[in-house]
This record gives sequence, C-alpha cells and structure tokens, in this order.
Amino acid sequence: MDIKIPDNWLRDFLKTKATSSEIAKYLSLSGPSVEKVEESVYFIEVTTNRVDIASVVGIAREAAAILPQFGVKARLQPVKLPVLKFLEKVDYLEAEVNQALCQRFSAVLIKNVQIRQSPDWMKDRLTAVGVRPINNVVDISNYVMHELGQPVHTFDYDKIRGAKMILRESKKGERLTTLDGKTHTLPGGDIVIEDGEGRLIDLAGIMGGENSAVDESTKNVLLFVQTYNPVNIRQTSMSLAQRTEAAVLFEKGIDPELVTDGIGRGIELFVKLAGGKPESQILDIYPAPYRARKVEINTDFLTARLGAQLPKDKITQILRSLGFETYWQGKTLEVLVPSHRAGDISIPEDIVEEVARLYGYHNLPSELMQGVLPEPLADAPFGFEEKIKSVLKGFGGVEVYTLSLVSREEAPTGLKLKNPLGKESEYLRTSLSASLVAAARQNAGEKEPFHLFEMANVYLPRRSKAKGGIPDLPNEKMMLGGIFANSSYREAKGAVEGLTNELNVKSEMFSEDAAHYLPNRHIYLKVKGRILGEFGELSYGYLYYQFDVEALRQAHREIGSFKPLPKYPAQIEDLTFSFPSRTKIGEVIAFVLSKEKLVSRMELTDIYKDAYTFRLWYQHPSKTLTDSEVEKIREDIIKSVKEKFGAYMKQLA
Amino acid sequence: MREEIISIKNEAMAQIMDADSSAELEELRISYLGRSGKLTSLIKRLKEIPSDERKEVGVLINDSKSAIESLLAEQKNRIGEVTRKWFDPTIPGIAPKRGHLHLITKAIKEISRTFEQIGFVRVRYPEVEWDFFAFEGLNMPKGDMSPHPKYGQIVLTPHTSSGQIREMKRVKTPPIRMINIAKCYRRQIDASHVPMFHQFEGLVIDKGISIAHLKGTLDYFARNFFGPQRKTRLRPFHFQFTEPSFEVDITCGICLGKGCKVCKRGWLELGGAGMVHPTVLTNGGIDPKVYSGFAFGWGVERTYMMKSGLSIPDIRLLYSSDLKFLRQF
Repeated sequence: MDIKIPDNWLRDFLKTKATSSEIAKYLSLSGPSVEKVEESVYFIEVTTNRVDIASVVGIAREAAAILPQFGVKARLQPVKLPVLKFLEKVDYLEAEVNQALCQRFSAVLIKNVQIRQSPDWMKDRLTAVGVRPINNVVDISNYVMHELGQPVHTFDYDKIRGAKMILRESKKGERLTTLDGKTHTLPGGDIVIEDGEGRLIDLAGIMGGENSAVDESTKNVLLFVQTYNPVNIRQTSMSLAQRTEAAVLFEKGIDPELVTDGIGRGIELFVKLAGGKPESQILDIYPAPYRARKVEINTDFLTARLGAQLPKDKITQILRSLGFETYWQGKTLEVLVPSHRAGDISIPEDIVEEVARLYGYHNLPSELMQGVLPEPLADAPFGFEEKIKSVLKGFGGVEVYTLSLVSREEAPTGLKLKNPLGKESEYLRTSLSASLVAAARQNAGEKEPFHLFEMANVYLPRRSKAKGGIPDLPNEKMMLGGIFANSSYREAKGAVEGLTNELNVKSEMFSEDAAHYLPNRHIYLKVKGRILGEFGELSYGYLYYQFDVEALRQAHREIGSFKPLPKYPAQIEDLTFSFPSRTKIGEVIAFVLSKEKLVSRMELTDIYKDAYTFRLWYQHPSKTLTDSEVEKIREDIIKSVKEKFGAYMKQLA
Repeated sequence: MREEIISIKNEAMAQIMDADSSAELEELRISYLGRSGKLTSLIKRLKEIPSDERKEVGVLINDSKSAIESLLAEQKNRIGEVTRKWFDPTIPGIAPKRGHLHLITKAIKEISRTFEQIGFVRVRYPEVEWDFFAFEGLNMPKGDMSPHPKYGQIVLTPHTSSGQIREMKRVKTPPIRMINIAKCYRRQIDASHVPMFHQFEGLVIDKGISIAHLKGTLDYFARNFFGPQRKTRLRPFHFQFTEPSFEVDITCGICLGKGCKVCKRGWLELGGAGMVHPTVLTNGGIDPKVYSGFAFGWGVERTYMMKSGLSIPDIRLLYSSDLKFLRQF
C-alpha cells in the first residue's frame, strides 16, 4: 500500500535535524521505500507485512531507529495520552461481542459535541494525505487513523437504539445501507453490529451504517475503536468491493495495543476541537491481551546468513532500537517481539532481516559463492532451439512472439481460463497456426515476400488416468511454426527443406490432405513413420509449416555424416523435358535417381511453360566416364522417362 | 658482371611493378633500355669480358632485356585498361535477405549465458502449474483446493518462482544453481503490462549461502550483463517466499549512481530477491537446518529494456507482429 506522510506531521513525533531528503534516503535503504518527496510530503510504499508503519507514528518510530545507524541523531517523541480508565462494563453501552471476530472492542461516549469545521492545521494535513475535510467529527476519525494507523469510527450515540450493541457474524442475504448510501446484500460471514432493536448499524471495519451515522444535528458521539479479525474484513471488503482505508488496514492485522492510543488520541481531539465531554469510564473488552512472543537466534546462524560477523552489542543495540527486548545466553539471543511487530516476526530469519537491514545491506560484503558446481542438465534442449532460430534467421525469417491466450475459435479444444481478460484471450492455444495467420495479416500492407516464425509452448489438455479422469496439467509442447506471405510454394518449401538439411534430419515427405490446408497442398515430414512436422498452403492463402521441436531434436544430428570424396570427376549436363499436365516432378527425380546408379545427383533448375530443365551429374565411383558411356545413360533416361511419364526431350543443353 | 645484370634486372622489374602511370613506365624504359640506359651500357662493356664467357653473359643480358620489355608492355596494358574503363563504386550492393531474431530471444540468450558462466544450470518448468508450486508451496495462501487432492487447482504461473520447488525436487541434494526462464501470465494489460511476459528466476541453494553471496551474484550480473562499472544495492522489501526479502537496484548507466536527470537518484529498480524462506526449502524436501539459499526473479523484457536503453513506450509492441517494429532489431 502507498501512504503519504507530511513532513511537519512526522516531526511531531520524530525529533531530528535530518532533512527530508536524508530521511527519505535512509528510510529507503533500511526500511520502507520512499518513492518521492513532493511539497514536503513523503510518498511511501508500505509492504503488506508492515501495517505497523502505515501511519505517521509508525514511520516516525522506524525512522528513529534507522537514522542513528547512518550517524544522524533522531529520537521518537511518543504519543501523549490522558490518563484513562478502561473497564469491561460501562453503564452507557451494553455490548455482546463475538471474540473470534473482534479481538479488542472499545468505545467511549462523548457528550455535547459541537459539529463544526476543523481548524486549518488539521484540514491542511488531511488534504496533504489525500483526505477531504468534512467536519470536525469525521476529520478527527480520519486524522487519528492516519496518525496512528488505527481506524476509528464514530456513531451518533442517540441512534443506537437501546444503547446496545451485538457484534456478530452476518447471515447470508442480510441487508445493510452504509453511510455512502449504498445498500449491500451481505454474502454472510461479515462482521456486523446490531443495535437493541435488531437493526444492523455498522458494517464493522469497513464502513458505518447510514442509520447510525453522525450528522449536523448530532449531539452525543460514541467513539469506537476495535481490532477485527483480518480474514473476515478481507473477505467482506473484496466481495462487496468496498475498499475503504479502514478495511485495507484491518485486513492486514492491526496491533490490538494500538486501541489504547486510538481512544486516547480521539478523546483528546474531541475535547479540544469539538468541546465534547467524554465519559471517564471507557468500555474495553480485551480478554486476551498481547503477551510478547519469544524468538531465539544463534549468533552462528546470524553470521552464516549475513556472510559477516557482527559484535553482540551491535546486534543488541539494533534490536532494542526497534523495540525488541533482548536477552543473551552465550551465543543464543532470546528476542521478545513487541506487539506492533507480532504479525511479522516469528522465526529466526525474521530477526536476521531486522538486524541486517538496520546494520545496512550496503555494509555487508559482496562475494560469489564457492563450492561444487551442480551437474549440467542432461540433454538440455536450449542450444538446439537457439540453433533452429538462427537457421531461420539466416533464411530471412523474422521471429515473432505472440500471446498464448487466444479466442475459443482459435483453440476449440484448449484449456479455458476461469477469469480471462476478455473473449480474445479466453483459451490456451493448442497450435501456433492461428496466431501466425493473425501475425501475417497484421502485415497485410506488405507487398514483398516475408517469412514470420515463432517457437513457443502449446498447451494440450490431458486427463490423468490414475486419478479417475480429473484434469492433469496440460502437455506443454514446444512447437515451431512459420508462415510465408507473398511467396511461392517452392520458396517456402525450400526453406523448410533447408531447415531439415541444416539440422541433418533425414525426413521423408508424404502428401496427404489436412484440415485448414488447400486440397493436395499439404505434406507431412516423417522420420521412421513418426511425424516431425508439416507444411502446406493454408486456405487463407499463406504457406505454413510447423514442427514438434522435441521430435525434431530427437531426429537431428549435430554433425553431418562423412562420405569419401569422389575420386573421379562428374560430367554435368542439363536436360529439358516436356511433361503431360499433372506430372509430379518429385516422382520423376526419384525415379531417375533410383533407376540410374551412375547419376549421382539431379536437380530441377528451371521451369518454362511445360518445359522442365534438370541438371544431372553423371559419375562413376571408380573411373572417369567417357562421352559414349554418358551418352548411353542419357539415352536410357530419355527413353525410360518417356515410357514412364510420357515426357519428351525438348533440347540438349 | 653476372650479379650486376641480375640485380639491374630485379631492380627494373620491381620499379615497373610499382609504376602506376604510362609516363612513369616510359621513364623507366629510358633509364634501363634507352641509349644510355643501365642495361644498354652493360652491353657496351661486353668486350671487357673474356671471350669464353662473353656468349653466356650476352644471352643473360638479352634474356633480361626481353623480360623487362615484356613486363613493361604488360604493365602498360594494365594501367591503360584501368584508367579507360569507367566504374561506379557507389552503386548500392545487393542485400542478402536479412532475418531477425526477436528482442526477447536475444535477451534470454544473453541472460542465460551470463549465469551459465558461473555454473548456473538453465532449466524450464511448467508454465501451467499446480497451485502448490505456484503459490502454496511458496508460502502463499492457497487457492481453491479442487481438483487435485494434493496440489490444488491448475493455474497459469504468475512468476518463474514456481520452478523453485520443482528444481529442489529434481536435484534433491544441493548444490543448486538454477536459472529458470519461462513465460508467465498475469491478468493485467496496459502500456507497461502484458498478460503474457517472460521472467528469469535464479535459485542458489547450498550449505552456508548468505546475503553476501546474493550480493556477489547480483554484482557479477550487473557487471557482466549491464557493464563493468555498474553496481547493485539491496533495499528491504517483502515477499512471502523469501526472508529476508529485497528490492534490487542498479546504478544508472548514465551517471553511475551520482544522480542525473534520467534516473533522479542514481539508482534504477531491477526487481525482487531474497533468502529462500525455510518453509519453502522444507516444501521442496530440503532441510533448512543444513542448507540455505537465495532467489531472484525478474522480468526478461524489463531487464533487457534497461540494458539496451531502448525507450519502447509501450511494452505491448514487443508482442505485436508488425514488421516495421521487428525489422529494427
């Protein structure tokens, strides 16, 4: 939570010559983070475990401990309180309290209150912390809360029928109108107060009831200061979306001892600013007062955690400055935790933090750890993944990162989120294709060819067999997807083949129709019958490929295999054939290569209308082929290609 | 005399090779082969040589003369050609097709390299996890307990910290030096938040691991990732799964900690860190009485932005597929 602390208010309790920028700097280094100081107001971030410093006095106490560690004199000026008489029963109010909901219940009647404007100094301070001044009664509550961190409520005493209060848990469906005019239907389990006529008059810890609120004609005020069960407060505040300042404090668990200060300071201000006459007896139902918690810590443990040895008296001095009591027994230190730190200090590690931050993290040494190094992960996939990406980059690919959260249409079988941000991000994707199509479409204005690719997990739902079909964690499968736009089938396929070649993956292609692809324009890449990936032309007009990265990794070889260099040169020539329509050129090449053992290589080099030019390498492993031997092979090729495919020779290049 | 001939020849050849204009070549021709040229004057001295050697020396002189002549001709041709043919060296080159790796890929690569150099092991853990690993095991309040009896509900990991207990369970007996990089998900979207982002999580567990070791590791990272003069500092903070917990700052790259217009106070916020909470160690099956450790988990995108000094106004741009953006890196 972020709080604002005016400098002049802070100095009511913090006696120091330190400048505000010094205070800000040192607090940030050893305590709460001061984000900025603006117009003499500190903007401070208070972490959830430190509700004890979410106030002017809390910050003053923290600063009084921290500043001297930096050589700056500082002293805490405690809250001055009138002498008060706390009793479990008073004659002006009858109270029944559920202890589980309210650890400490206190109230005092203040009579003859005069409602008027607050003095300027109070209005100014409230304005500085972001609270709008209303009148003296409301302002006193807010002022005490900001000063002490203890929320305070005021009732119009005369509106509490029967001068009776029953603090209890709400029943589901009960209705209550808070003083902001909102009517709530309660979820149940909320802390409420009922008066002598059974009316709900307070949504405790969050906001008072409209029917018991102080107004212009109020004469007698009941000053009301409690400690509530933080769990109930949080649940109510969240489910009703009533995030009042009081609720935000109460839900973090407030020190019950603070009630005394809250009552005392409230009385003092009511007398001073509203001419009120407080009853001398204060109702205080507090059956289980705080008893200091004991935490033990050993100096060896402290030294090991800090990486530095601190003298005993330094440790003692630090902890005492923070309000802890300390007792040494040899190397063991017994620490008694003050009530305001009870919510956050319970184990030796907590003491380590207190000592270390006050000693100053900047004063601790900085050194790398020694010792044995852990074994590297066997078979880690990261290097392989990087390699794929750099190969694709080399082919002109542009890498994208797209969101894994997609719409239902994009992942009809995917896992559905319970609380998505919107319909567009309601499901976890099971394929990269929809995201990549969207990515390509985002660049629809681009007229040149482009190639986008992404490597990311897809999340495939699965149910565990062992646990009776309850959902199991999804199969997180690393996928590679890529999309080509403004490109030809051959260009895109060439990149896919280039990738498998670069990875030394010996895959075979099988053409087979698949959903989302144009008919006859889809192939699977397989190794030993296992599908590694696929490629084809999408019905959206893009060329798309995807690979199962792990399958690819299993099939890849880091280094290509070695073949002895040919001893005798190849004769190379181009042959051009004309084929009947619907001839599969891939099959022609496969046919020639399997039939002619002396053709070591055959590539398609050009297509012009129906004329396909191939480059052939004639090569014998143990001799140089003569022209007449080459001619024999050539004639055999021409003849057999004609017989098999009905092709005829166009020309001899 | 033989040596003299060879040395004159070599000298002539060298000078001809160095010549870069026709005029110079002509001068050289005159100085060696002209009427009183160096080689010509040697021919005049032939008669001084004993007659039995004269023929041999004569052949040598003639060979030298023709070698010089042919080199002169060759050189003259070469110079002539170059000066004759006009060429435009400013013509733009034909660009190879340039691909681009995404900034996040580059960031992950650099971050993992930096930690791998001091023995960290890169791992990857589920991005869709049981509540236990993402929350409860990290000492945070657990969510609704269904459907898994032991691990609770299935959640999108909001942080890479969910890899901590996974790593402890994998390694079983420390030492652990983990760097876990993965996608994380949070229900938030604006100029500085995306619902999906990346984090890197460091976890070190061994006997006697201290705050000093955390400082040493962070300083090492600052020097090697951000630059040799950069330093880090710790400030108190609070996380459920570490005790003590810290906020880590790094000195501003411009003023190196003195304070300037860009950074205000000399330091920039890097992210959170802390000493692993004993309950978390216990949940991971590691005895907190024997071992201790530290952990940190920061956003990849944010950390890389800070390193590169790229001022990308809207982090959502990183997850857009606009080529105009992607091709810049």
